[in-house]
Amino acid sequence: MYTCGIDVGSVSTEVVILDNKNKIVSYVIALTGSNSKNAAKAAFESSLKKAGLKESEIKSIVATGYGRINIPFANKNITEISCHARGAISLFPDLKTVIDIGGQDSKVIKLEGGNPIDFLMNDKCAAGTGRFLEVMAKALEINLEDFTPIFNRTSDKVDITSTCTVFAESEIVSLIGHGVDKNKIIKGLIYSIADRITTMVERVGLEEPVCMTGGVAKNMGVVRALEEKLGVKLNIPDEPQITGALGAAYLARDLH
Amino acid sequence: MGIKNRLKTGIQKNLNLRYIKRLLGIIALKPVLYAYGKTFPSASDKYLNIFTIESLKKAYSDNNRPIGYGSLFIPYELFYALGITPFLPEVMAGFTAGLGLAPQTLKEASSHWYSQDLCTFHRSASGAAELDLFPRPDYIITSNLACDAAQKSFYIHSVKHNIEKNYYLIDVPYRYSEGSIRYLTAQIKNICTDICSKTGKKLDISMFEEAFGLSNELRKWAIEVGSLRKNLVDYPPSFNGLNFILPFHGLAGTREAVILYKEIYRDLKKYSDKQHKESLGKKKPAKRILWLHLKPYYRNEIFDILYRENCRVVFEEINHVYWPELDYKKPFESLARKMLSNFLGGSIDKRIDVTLKAAHDYKADGAILFSHWGCRQSNGGARIIKDNLKKINVPTLVLDGDCVDQNNSSQGQVKTRLQGFIEILNS
Repeated sequence: MYTCGIDVGSVSTEVVILDNKNKIVSYVIALTGSNSKNAAKAAFESSLKKAGLKESEIKSIVATGYGRINIPFANKNITEISCHARGAISLFPDLKTVIDIGGQDSKVIKLEGGNPIDFLMNDKCAAGTGRFLEVMAKALEINLEDFTPIFNRTSDKVDITSTCTVFAESEIVSLIGHGVDKNKIIKGLIYSIADRITTMVERVGLEEPVCMTGGVAKNMGVVRALEEKLGVKLNIPDEPQITGALGAAYLARDLH
Repeated sequence: MGIKNRLKTGIQKNLNLRYIKRLLGIIALKPVLYAYGKTFPSASDKYLNIFTIESLKKAYSDNNRPIGYGSLFIPYELFYALGITPFLPEVMAGFTAGLGLAPQTLKEASSHWYSQDLCTFHRSASGAAELDLFPRPDYIITSNLACDAAQKSFYIHSVKHNIEKNYYLIDVPYRYSEGSIRYLTAQIKNICTDICSKTGKKLDISMFEEAFGLSNELRKWAIEVGSLRKNLVDYPPSFNGLNFILPFHGLAGTREAVILYKEIYRDLKKYSDKQHKESLGKKKPAKRILWLHLKPYYRNEIFDILYRENCRVVFEEINHVYWPELDYKKPFESLARKMLSNFLGGSIDKRIDVTLKAAHDYKADGAILFSHWGCRQSNGGARIIKDNLKKINVPTLVLDGDCVDQNNSSQGQVKTRLQGFIEILNS
């Protein structure tokens, strides 16, 4: 028996197919683009192809993420809060806190006995998310992949005071205009995200073990800054971006 | 297009006081009201709409002068005893949201330098006043109880209408004590004396008898409704206890409020008996939700989602009867005690006590605190209320949003938070 989880985010869509021995038989990460329904269908077909499966072999599908309600071939939609919690628990069974930073969404989930008991999501502002980093990378004309090595080799930082993405971009342009070292700006940006997420974690209440999921968990600069601010070691999945889809695939199994 | 949508479109296209007056005049004609009333799902829903429209019509008619603006936490028995027709701008702001007018009233308020940080009930009401959508007031009575924005924005209304001398601010002390009662009693008496000297009425305690009697009857029926709800397993889909804010406050002291609360009781009792006979024990019990603060008054999915997901709002803190019976022989002191008993005034401990007791009495599985933008008195205590409910194992969702401005929150984000919370309750 195979089950499938589809996480339709604002930036990317992830699909995970799970077999009955909890093994991931295939996963796909694709851009969502302007049509989330089509993106989900294409990513699902691609994951079937990778796994060498037919659609009829998938027993059930759970959709999650902001586009979850727009997936007609899913059996059920479940929020990303439950799916990320379940996905993270499947990887780190004793978890107490999950930090997820996605494209336009960041959340902190508190767990007890493997179940979510409280959560906090960012408000309508995209500060402290992957999109924030993308916009800043563009303003600095530096590849996002270079942020981590720059973070590691730079000792000093410039504080970025604006939390709003648009204002922060103006602040950066202004700092560049004043001849401030771009590396120090990047380090400051990463710490500004860490500050914002730390506040969210403190509101929910930090309890170890802690896991970080979502695409931004691939940025080791952000991970290190967060570890420093929180004073804890973060557990990072091998592929943090598919945690929500993985949890959805587990929850799809519970439908039977 | 249904009658409700036709009205909405008509009002939106003809944004002026004369049109609203004319429309209310037509709607409030008895045959129209009763024909319209037949389309409502329950008797209480029908009376709520009829009495609301009738009370608005009175406030928009020059035949019913003097007209007085009042803020939400004023005891409206005072208005009825003094023969003043009340008009509640904050409640009207909720109506403007329901009619889809709020984007226009908020825009108008912005163009008159009302801060974006001001609560949208007051911002929208101020915009509506600037657009001349509200009747001209003769008196304004407000207070500093719980809400700070009312006293300030209402003062601007008094300046606009050149009635600063008829603007009364009741200063409600922070603590409940006999000294506070005396201080407040004296203020209320002074206001009554001053208004009577202006209206030419003789101030006499007999003028409070009828309004206080009716208010006590409302109180009795509101307590009965609350008692019934403690053990109510299910609710009619159309029932929403957050819709009764006008009768609970603005109609306190009228026969209409008593009729309405009796009908609410009958509707719920009938539904409860029917449920008991038909399906008790067969259906999965609903999750019982305690609702804190207000709700969005524009079209939204919150209550549909809750109902669909088998969650029922079993009590709303705004429906808590917090005051003792009124004694018309001690009218000023009675009103002072009513105001000082309000659990939203003074220390947060009062609100915590009411919340914990309600969570216990109504057997709440979870609580939702709707965190309305700019409402300091409610949002300031959100964390401590959540922490206290957690101690008795009642999880709380602090749902950030806006009761009036639909553009100040994303429906999708509200939905995700709400569904996530329901999933937690069901896990």
